[in-house]
Amino acid sequence: MFDRGEALALLQLGDSAFPAGGFAFSWGIEGLAADGLLSDRDDLDRVIADHLAQRWASMDRILLRRAWRAADSDAIAAVDRLAEATTPSAEMREGSRRAGRALLGVWVKLAGRLSVSYRARVSADPRLGHLAVVQAITGRDAGLSLDAAELVSGWTLITGLASAAVRLGLIGHIDSQQSLARARALLADLLADAPDDDAMPSSFTPFIDIAVSRGPLRAVRMFTT
Amino acid sequence: MSRLALTHADAPMTAARVGIGGPVGSGKTALVEQLIPALQARGIDIAVITNDLVTAEDAERVRRSGLIDPERVSAVEAGACPHTVIREDPTLNIEAADELERRFPGVELILLESGGDNLASTFSRDLTDFWMFVIDVAGGDDIPRKRGPGVIRADLLVINKVDLAPHVGVDLARMQREATEVRGGRPVLLTNCRRGEGVDAIVDLLEREVLFRT
Repeated sequence: MFDRGEALALLQLGDSAFPAGGFAFSWGIEGLAADGLLSDRDDLDRVIADHLAQRWASMDRILLRRAWRAADSDAIAAVDRLAEATTPSAEMREGSRRAGRALLGVWVKLAGRLSVSYRARVSADPRLGHLAVVQAITGRDAGLSLDAAELVSGWTLITGLASAAVRLGLIGHIDSQQSLARARALLADLLADAPDDDAMPSSFTPFIDIAVSRGPLRAVRMFTT
Repeated sequence: MSRLALTHADAPMTAARVGIGGPVGSGKTALVEQLIPALQARGIDIAVITNDLVTAEDAERVRRSGLIDPERVSAVEAGACPHTVIREDPTLNIEAADELERRFPGVELILLESGGDNLASTFSRDLTDFWMFVIDVAGGDDIPRKRGPGVIRADLLVINKVDLAPHVGVDLARMQREATEVRGGRPVLLTNCRRGEGVDAIVDLLEREVLFRT
């Protein structure tokens, strides 16, 4: 059954205009392009597929689901620390925390109950505030279902990657829509299978991780990651 | 000015946030470099955030200036969207300002320098309590007449590089008069940031209108 209320919430929260700072994160697109590893739509589609299948589905989604099930802020913080411990790249960790803290900050101003409570904890511990964990907290505050929260998480990653590619001049606006459609189908496939509750987060995106990690060494840099 | 209204006993005191926007090359960073010592000389505890467009050059320039503790200078990447990061989605700048306040509890004023932009650039009121727009005479004396939102809506319009006016054929008095007219009489100040001329007038205005020190 089509739930108009939740669909409208998804349109709002999954919109690239939702003010959570997402436009400033390219998650490796800028670095891969600078290193000559991404120059057209086919390349972008492969990078998006890697991001989704090799990182988001096995890492971010697992963390989000664990944080979703967490009974209290102690349990949420444990998932947050797991996110910190399972992200080897310092720049990926930093990017994840910055993106998560930005999203959390918006929901604090929107008076999200869990967000307000968890923000105090994040302010006191620099290791906390990872994006996937915050997406679970804010999804709960928004009254989403877990399915919807996962969808927003995956979709905002996809739109962020495609948008960064457009702003970097790698693809045009029509190519971008074709990439989004292709990625949308992959996201739907991934979401069709629910992971086990005890699944541990893991990822294998070495080119993306290296591209992000090399960010601080680049003289020209427009994106946070 | 809503942030500054939080003066009752239970409310947290937060730093005033002052935006500095304007076109590329108009002298925003030079103004920041002049404002830092001028504000410090009046005993005002400050920090700085820069939004460089493609590098961290402005942030590094301020950090290396020797004018301020480098730890008090934060850089926020704009993702190629200098408008967005100060207006439609200022979240990352707000987080950076909140973080500076956490790290430096006594900070009273945070300067937020936008990346170089165009005349349509404006700051969100959720991000800043006061913002100024910097143009320069070498950009052409017709800039005020174009009535860009930056020129019209800023709390203060700064016309910089006034020393260049005779060299670029600009009638400075007319430019100032037209700027004041299009702004409905709201403040327009003239500076030569290379020599620090006119900067004290800006600090006077910030003390009076932002910090309420008169």
